[in-house]
Amino acid sequence: MLRIVNGKVYDPANGIDGQVREICIDESGRIAQNVTGGRTIDATGMIVFPGGVDVHTHVAGGAINFARAMTPEDHRRTQAFIRTKTRRSGLGGMAPTTFATGYLYAGMGWTTVNEAAVPVLSARHTHEELTDIPIVDKASLTLMANNEIVLDLLENGEYERAKHAVAWYVWAAKSYGIKAVNPGGVAAWKWGHDAKQLTSPIAGYNNITPGTIVTQLARICEELNLPHPIHLHCNNLGAPGNIATTIDTLKHLEGRRAHIAHSQYHAYGGDGWESMCSRTSELADYFNSHPQLTTDAGAVLFGDTVTITADGPWQHLLYKLTGRKWGNLDVENETGCGIVPYTYRPSNLVNAVQWAAGLELLLLIKDPWQVFLSTDHPNGGCFWRYPEIIKLLMCADFRRECLTQLPARIKKHITLPEIDREYTLYEVATAMSAGPARALGLTRKGNLGVGCDGDVVIYHDTDDVEQMFGHPRYVIKGGEIVIEEGEIRETPEGREFLARPSYDPATDEFMKPLFEECYTMSFENYPVELERIERAEIMECSSE
Amino acid sequence: MGGKVTCTLGEVKQRADFIIYWGGNPAECHPRHFTKYTIMQKSKFLPRGRKDRTMVLVDIRETKSVKAADIFLQVRPGRDFELITILRAMIKDQHVADEQLAETGLARDVLEDLVARMKSAKFGCMFFGMGLSMTRGKHMNSAALLTLAAEMNAFTKFVAMPMRGHGNVTGADVIMRWQTGYPFGITFNRGYPRYNPGEFSTVDVLVRGDCDAAFIIGADPGATMPQPAIDHLKRIPTIVLDPHVTHTSRLARVHITTAPQGIAAPGTAYRMDELPLPLKPALKSPYPTDEEVVRRINAAIADKPFWLPEGSQPQMLTAQV
Amino acid sequence: MTLQIIDNATCTFCGCVCDDIQLHHDEVRIHKANKACVLGTAWFLNHTAEQKYPAALVDGREASLDEAIEVAATLLHEADMPLVYGMSNTTCEAQKECVAMADLLGGLLDSHTSL
Repeated sequence: MLRIVNGKVYDPANGIDGQVREICIDESGRIAQNVTGGRTIDATGMIVFPGGVDVHTHVAGGAINFARAMTPEDHRRTQAFIRTKTRRSGLGGMAPTTFATGYLYAGMGWTTVNEAAVPVLSARHTHEELTDIPIVDKASLTLMANNEIVLDLLENGEYERAKHAVAWYVWAAKSYGIKAVNPGGVAAWKWGHDAKQLTSPIAGYNNITPGTIVTQLARICEELNLPHPIHLHCNNLGAPGNIATTIDTLKHLEGRRAHIAHSQYHAYGGDGWESMCSRTSELADYFNSHPQLTTDAGAVLFGDTVTITADGPWQHLLYKLTGRKWGNLDVENETGCGIVPYTYRPSNLVNAVQWAAGLELLLLIKDPWQVFLSTDHPNGGCFWRYPEIIKLLMCADFRRECLTQLPARIKKHITLPEIDREYTLYEVATAMSAGPARALGLTRKGNLGVGCDGDVVIYHDTDDVEQMFGHPRYVIKGGEIVIEEGEIRETPEGREFLARPSYDPATDEFMKPLFEECYTMSFENYPVELERIERAEIMECSSE
Repeated sequence: MGGKVTCTLGEVKQRADFIIYWGGNPAECHPRHFTKYTIMQKSKFLPRGRKDRTMVLVDIRETKSVKAADIFLQVRPGRDFELITILRAMIKDQHVADEQLAETGLARDVLEDLVARMKSAKFGCMFFGMGLSMTRGKHMNSAALLTLAAEMNAFTKFVAMPMRGHGNVTGADVIMRWQTGYPFGITFNRGYPRYNPGEFSTVDVLVRGDCDAAFIIGADPGATMPQPAIDHLKRIPTIVLDPHVTHTSRLARVHITTAPQGIAAPGTAYRMDELPLPLKPALKSPYPTDEEVVRRINAAIADKPFWLPEGSQPQMLTAQV
Repeated sequence: MTLQIIDNATCTFCGCVCDDIQLHHDEVRIHKANKACVLGTAWFLNHTAEQKYPAALVDGREASLDEAIEVAATLLHEADMPLVYGMSNTTCEAQKECVAMADLLGGLLDSHTSL
């Protein structure tokens, strides 16, 4: 039991904007009206936020683990967490180890993370890694927009069957929702091609196009009543001029809800690397007039990182552009992934445009309930650098100072210098916690109302924004103080959120022969057993 | 150089019309590889199965796998790296001198034919075995072959994959990576993981006599390692967990009999393409599982004083020195 | 006697890790391993649930499991630079415990891969 008194509370889910409120957490770890006994934290001169929620990150599974293997040179220079009698050691950096991932997220006040790209085939692996990420609660999304069984069904017009197959896959993976990456493009990559035109049939098919996949999958997510709508990584990521593809993709949603992943990478004009420019205002306008859509920034920070994405063809291009290491892993029937280490440089025009574009989206989309803090970790930068982004959002002067480091010719390529908006604390709390929690359908997260999870972060109220957000005074997870003045106190195990959509029981029988044709493991061994998920919390989804 | 361009085995089954086995003998070491995953499978893209696929075997001698191959290339022992380097040049139409070719023991027209076939493949896959990765050049050979596969993607789809053996060694690799960042050759002697093959790899550690106790599980170094390494295992307290009393058990201070994995112990094992598979034990062993025994040993160690006194170290180093 | 059947069992002998094996067993021994290759068949048929070995050996004499665990923990704890090695023929669940052991001891950790 815990009582937090005298702190200025920022709780956007309940419209509380800096008023002094008392927050109580009962013995079950939930926010309560009142408690008797237990510790009291005097938060005088401090501010109180709901724990951060990362809507889109890559922290567990085959792809990030591939990236770990590819970056030993980074592990040996980065943060090291030293073993104690009770706490495991770990390494931070571009691709942190599982234990360090938990420490680093909790260390800056984030208490829930969503692993955004999981092939069903290796979901067992992802869940094992998620189990080894301490403190935070977790969810994961299943990759679906290049699954050949589902694509074949859509090609043949069997929408209902496709819907049941998708639901079957979500439960087989024990995941929380659907992620669509470069619809059709990863399937085409299996033959070394890509899918760049939204309305052209994808390689190997006559009817379906990336556009139809987007429309149908968005509808499937809606009809299955999944807590989180389709989580969409658009086609043509990273390419100059891709704003046209992105806007076209959004139109193919036909008014349905969707979360657009890392939109910074999808908001470019120009027709080549030299002429590449930011077209974020166009994209922001679309979001401003379509409140059913949410997005995360996928912001870029200068420095070293490693890029990992299911977008295999893009990674091949990046390898050719940079000449650096290239990892690629195509996953039978389902998806692929590519890994390339990358350094974002302020002196590089393209990188400078990307840096500006991420911030522009966060600043030009008016409603913070629609645009969330992310770097698409580790693609645009490591998650543990989020406090730097918060500072850039809250301090226009600091932004202007950073702009002076960029090439002079950048001005014609970006709109950031013209933007004066500064985030308020209330808006930061929305973009880092309340908004992503609501988009994910996690009703007890990002909310300090009675009955919600007792995930709270308390900061010193100082002018040094980066210091303040990087070093919380207290982080409380489920009512337990896990971080206190920069020290890890406790490392409780987090929970995992699963969604169980309903599907026709005959789906197993229908799937089996299709499965056996393209997979190499036994159908019966494929679904992840529920008992393998430690501390699962299942959301039943009833479709109408 | 660096990285790996690969896929799961189902992609090979579905698509690979051109397959190279390099320095491996699947017919004897991975007997179902041909039939379950590669050349013998029919798929919607390769409906005639074996007839739609070309298989090339590269090795220093004829093995039983030759019978399954369309083309056998006998490379001179210890010249794999040279051959791969020549292929990397030839795919890019770079000049290769006759004397360089002669080193490999293969004729120019044979290699030109190979390169033409590689480039005209729709989906090429190279599997490499210990004949490549454990002979002269070792990991440099593997890295060169992985680079060749990556570079082939300028022309067509191409991937490569090691033919890993030794049961669940892939699982160890995968788990060490997510828990420590590194795949093997690790020390925790500063309280956090550090990596340096050659310094922290077992044979080197044992031959130098650097460790003063050894815990051996799921391996029998007493039967496979060089004699100076075995001699050191005899000198120090060695603890062995194994379903059998092994060579190593006989030189150890402690042997504990455990249930064999997948037969009497449940759990997970990783396939060579890093796919986790559940185990379904048939038998109930009179012995405990490895998992249970190691957990109990860990609990017993945890009851004793911790080697780093509380507060003697910072929680986190912001950068390693 | 009728044998019990396990479908889609997984063979961990080599890196193929075939998971389509049908095992016929009588709880003590596996009599048939359908679909397994020659190596896999030998693997399945050569392991039994018989008590062929003592539970544990300490300095060459038979010992109880509890005693062996305590001796093992003491020897490892006393060492300055203990080595945790192997992990090929075991489950991922045991491998995780082995990594935890090396971490707890501040020791060395290595697998077959380094050979």
